[in-house]
Amino acid sequence: MIKVNNLNKSFNGKTVLRDISVTFEPGKTNLIIGRSGSGKTVLLKSIVGLHDIDDGEVWYDDVLFNRLDFRGKKEIRKEMGMLFQGSALFDSLTVEQNVRFPLDMFTDKSDEEKRDRVNFCLKRVNILNANDLLPSELSGGMKKRVAIARAIALNPKYLFCDEPNSGLDPLTAILIDDLIKEITEEYSMTTIVNTHDMNSVMKIGEKIFFLSDGIKCWEGNNKEILSSDNNTLNDFVFANALAKQLRTTLIRNHHGN
Amino acid sequence: MLRFLTQLGSYFLLLKKVFSKPEKPSVYYKQTMHEMVFLGLNSVGIITIISFFMGAVITLQTAYNTENPIYPTYLIGLGCRDSILLEFSSTITALILAGKVGSNIASEIGTMRVTEQIDALEIMGVNSASYLILPKIIATLLFNPVLTLISISVGIFGGWIAGTTAGVITSEDYVYGIQYAFIPYYVTYAIIKTLFFAFIITSVSAFQGYNVEGGSLEVGRASTKAVVYSSVLILLFNVILTQTLLS
Repeated sequence: MIKVNNLNKSFNGKTVLRDISVTFEPGKTNLIIGRSGSGKTVLLKSIVGLHDIDDGEVWYDDVLFNRLDFRGKKEIRKEMGMLFQGSALFDSLTVEQNVRFPLDMFTDKSDEEKRDRVNFCLKRVNILNANDLLPSELSGGMKKRVAIARAIALNPKYLFCDEPNSGLDPLTAILIDDLIKEITEEYSMTTIVNTHDMNSVMKIGEKIFFLSDGIKCWEGNNKEILSSDNNTLNDFVFANALAKQLRTTLIRNHHGN
Repeated sequence: MLRFLTQLGSYFLLLKKVFSKPEKPSVYYKQTMHEMVFLGLNSVGIITIISFFMGAVITLQTAYNTENPIYPTYLIGLGCRDSILLEFSSTITALILAGKVGSNIASEIGTMRVTEQIDALEIMGVNSASYLILPKIIATLLFNPVLTLISISVGIFGGWIAGTTAGVITSEDYVYGIQYAFIPYYVTYAIIKTLFFAFIITSVSAFQGYNVEGGSLEVGRASTKAVVYSSVLILLFNVILTQTLLS
């Protein structure tokens, strides 16, 4: 479980996150949603410690993460996996070397054991016969899947995904969503996904936090989101023409009944 | 001034991070070997070409400027040797490497920064500064003296080829000249300078790349800054080291 208490973050005097308190549950895909510039990525990076927070608390189970020194954070980080918006695969390494990297760095496994683990992770994300390819030779969807394979190589307790569907076609995006959900359940991970993709929200949003202008405005799940009376949330959820039409129909039907 | 001091402080803080205990020495060893090939071995070609022509030009210029019966011709060989040993092979080589290796390091690390690859390392619990920069520093500290020795040898050889081909000096006089009044300490002096310059090139360029904020435009700027700052510092330290080591 990851718990955030009264988190504040500003850059050069400009407040980006204001008094955020949220609890991310294990074994569930926790979503942070909101418009571009609402502070989703800053919140995610503050939780993982890539940004130092101004004040507040970030708890990983019973460890107060943001007060730890570099060594302490390092220990917790060995239990984290992260999928970045642009995949962040190491350009100079092949697919196999990318997935093997955390194993080389933090385990004393034999070469064969490492190879087996790499192949298992790649197979788990449906990447076959691509071990020797460089990231520049992969499609966007494949890069994301390799990044997921790298993220799960050390069996992490916490998985963070920053806009996992950005730049992907709808079908590939669904595959990535399914994969994140399956892996989360399989390994009972605490997964946090940043997204503004409503398909993802409806498909995998077991717990959803809506951010607007750096403030948490709403909390719920994918079943509750369509019936919310929060106007800011509704503006976001029903932003496109199709969704607006759907909402109008739903309201009409509701009044009709 | 405040900005300069802030940058200087950040530079030393980065160095502190770079020289912390490596996570896994075996991984660092492999990385250092890779960097020795990438930053060192791959520079042998350009250093050889430049040193050859440098030696040739020094010999010809020394010859044309000492066209006087009072001066024995072997002084051309001596002049070429000392110019190459004392100044050209260490300083000029360093300036060339600041351009080639420095811009390479800054753009590589800068690109890793803007594409979140450095964040990915940090998230894994890897000390990104140490993992990315320490092997480069070790590799250049180990390999640049070799490059300097290659440069000295090739430069003197280039002088011999040019001098004898142009007919400004006989082979015997040139060989006598390069052996005449030889001071072995000059080689040590050249190596010491090279070590300082190698550290400047790698650490300054890595600092520029590591602190990139923004996109590809900023990576390009960092690359240019890396070359300019490294070159200026090389020239500054050249004066300081010359005064310190030869006085």
